[in-house]
Amino acid sequence: MPEQNNAVLPRGVVQEEFDKAVEKFRVLLGKESVLVKADQLLPYNKIMLSVENAAHAPSAALTATTVEQVQGVVRICNEHKIPIWTISTGRNFGYGSAAPSQRGQVILDLKKMNKIIKIDTDMCYALVEPGVTYGQLYDHIEENNLPVMLSFSAPSAIAGPVGNTMDRGVGYTPYGEHFMMQCGMEVVLANGDVYRTGMGGVKGSNTWQIFKWGYGPTLDGMFTQANYGITTKMGFWLMPKPPVFKPFEVIFQSEEDIVEIVDLLRPLRMSGTIPNSVVIASTLWEAGSAHLRRSDYITEPGHTPDSVIKQMQKDTGMGAWNLYAALYGTQEQVDVNWKIVTDAFKRLGKGRIVTQEEAGDKQPFKYRAELMSGVPNLQEFGLYNWRGGGGSMWFAPVSEARGSECEKQARMAKRILHKHGLDYVAEFIVAPRDMHHVIDVLFDRTNAEETRRADACFNELLDEFEKEGYAVYRVNTRFQERVARSYGPVKRDVEHAIKRALDPNNILAPGRSGINLDTYKKA
Amino acid sequence: MSVNRRFVLKSMALGSIAGVTMGSAVRALAAGTAAPSATAAARPVLALANEGAAQSIFLYGALAAGGPRLQVQRVGCDPGFMLDFERQLRSRQPMRVIGLLDDASAALLVDIARSGGARMQWLGQHTVEAAFSRHHLLDTDSAEGCSQQFSRQLQACGAGFSLNEERQNGPIGPRRMSGPSRSAGQSAQWASSIGYLLASLGTRTTLTAPLAPVASTPITGSFVSFSIEA
Repeated sequence: MPEQNNAVLPRGVVQEEFDKAVEKFRVLLGKESVLVKADQLLPYNKIMLSVENAAHAPSAALTATTVEQVQGVVRICNEHKIPIWTISTGRNFGYGSAAPSQRGQVILDLKKMNKIIKIDTDMCYALVEPGVTYGQLYDHIEENNLPVMLSFSAPSAIAGPVGNTMDRGVGYTPYGEHFMMQCGMEVVLANGDVYRTGMGGVKGSNTWQIFKWGYGPTLDGMFTQANYGITTKMGFWLMPKPPVFKPFEVIFQSEEDIVEIVDLLRPLRMSGTIPNSVVIASTLWEAGSAHLRRSDYITEPGHTPDSVIKQMQKDTGMGAWNLYAALYGTQEQVDVNWKIVTDAFKRLGKGRIVTQEEAGDKQPFKYRAELMSGVPNLQEFGLYNWRGGGGSMWFAPVSEARGSECEKQARMAKRILHKHGLDYVAEFIVAPRDMHHVIDVLFDRTNAEETRRADACFNELLDEFEKEGYAVYRVNTRFQERVARSYGPVKRDVEHAIKRALDPNNILAPGRSGINLDTYKKA
Repeated sequence: MSVNRRFVLKSMALGSIAGVTMGSAVRALAAGTAAPSATAAARPVLALANEGAAQSIFLYGALAAGGPRLQVQRVGCDPGFMLDFERQLRSRQPMRVIGLLDDASAALLVDIARSGGARMQWLGQHTVEAAFSRHHLLDTDSAEGCSQQFSRQLQACGAGFSLNEERQNGPIGPRRMSGPSRSAGQSAQWASSIGYLLASLGTRTTLTAPLAPVASTPITGSFVSFSIEA
């Protein structure tokens, strides 16, 4: 029976079957936890993508509070072939928000599973449920004066460690590569089994959050950016709060400086002199984060001309590139490293160093320093006011941490964005060897023509970058199938073989990272 | 008359909405509005707005419909406010929240509403340029009257517009409407109309939104309107 045109149903599921499943969900979870009315589902359907909301409309949303309930949900889904899209806090915004990948999928919202199960301040780790937010953790740490600090992405206070880590997100502290800091997860599989990774399967073990690898195959990574299970607990390491924290900014005036910046930074990152995930933000990323608006400078449609950007730099003191980093440790350690860092920039002969004392409460320095020291804030949401209109899709190719490569990517991205009348609003997040080149493709969703341009632009970015051997590390739900193709057929075959083995009914998040038994055809 | 939002807020704080801020036109509207339904009347309406002329005009319309039930709160991207708002929603105290915010504040607030378990009848994205406005609505059947009246009022005010409406749990294709620009005099009327219609949602009102005061400078920009029920 074809999908009804006046109601939202999961693909291939008829109304009668859906109703039966909903009734079982109500018995399992309670009526209050099964949302099917339009005004209950509308908040789950706010998207920032270049398609109509209808393409990502859920048919229902469920909230669970226990692992047993999650097991019950997958059992019912198997019985009625209902696809579910699981979210923890659902706050990955430009990567897809809380809305499902495909119209009609039932959202399983784990926001009520929000217990901080344990924080061990000797071993410096936490074990949490998926609904726990960084804000909640931060409050807990502050209220109890615990000697640890958090690492989080920019939506910090309202996002959560489980969702961010499972999507392989990054933060801005020395623990900024979040999946690397993950240690031990509990996963409900599609058949209802509860699988604990690492040391978690050993009865009475106290090393689940201590030793990642366990014995035999280590499968943690398999559950990230994937649809093989539902994570119901996750452990991660916490950084001991350092006695001294010294954030700083280095401002560069020319776009071409990116080559020297990156080549200077790489050895400092590799040696651990600068231990945190450094950010190099473009002028427009800075401008948005400082809550400037494009309309303050120009109202003509299309991309913002370089002359206007130069004027903004002149007016605000922002650079073409704005590097944020920090030093951590004892005063002696910080002093030594500060000398190494400042000497390196002096030798370069470019870049104006700004310390916290000089910056004071000025934005964006203040929020950057907070993010690098584990203090949550929501300052970066100002990006959404830069152009306005509610469209935001993050294009995030990976680059070598090599100056010439970063410059090449920046030039390519800017050219393609400008061709489509959009702005290059970007930051590089610097690891020792790689760069996450994060570009916020901002557009006006009320403008159908601009929305089409944004969609075409995103496709062209993917295509052109792929031709040069680049691919994104993460993408929003609109483009997951497209990006999966960039990684080649063998990888996709393996992923689908695993999917068939673990979830033969294809109930868990079909379409996640392009993994979908209903649509995938072996090449 | 040029609208000054501080004046509006200050006046409302004094608790003399119609008398002080908007004069006899609003009093007449309030008197002419049919009695609200019991459920809607029981709920206080909180209007959230940030600084700006469009927001002032939105409040002007909201005040005309909401009268003394309406409370106003200023909003910014402040984590403290957002988390308090979430706690408030989770307390399950019956409450209706309407608002007109900038994109950044709205992105946060709407998501907080979701995690707070609130219901939402209306989510509007509005872009306003000189003498032309574009509107994308995501709404529910309960806001059917609002969207229809909104499009009529856009037609009537004479500024060019385009309107796309998607209905939650509705068909895949959106409903599209548009109107040519005939005059720019009432180009800010859309904000007053939305304020009025959202404050009236759930009540039986047949009147149209009050004519927005003419702004001293063109009101342009990007805005998000919403109606949330806890």
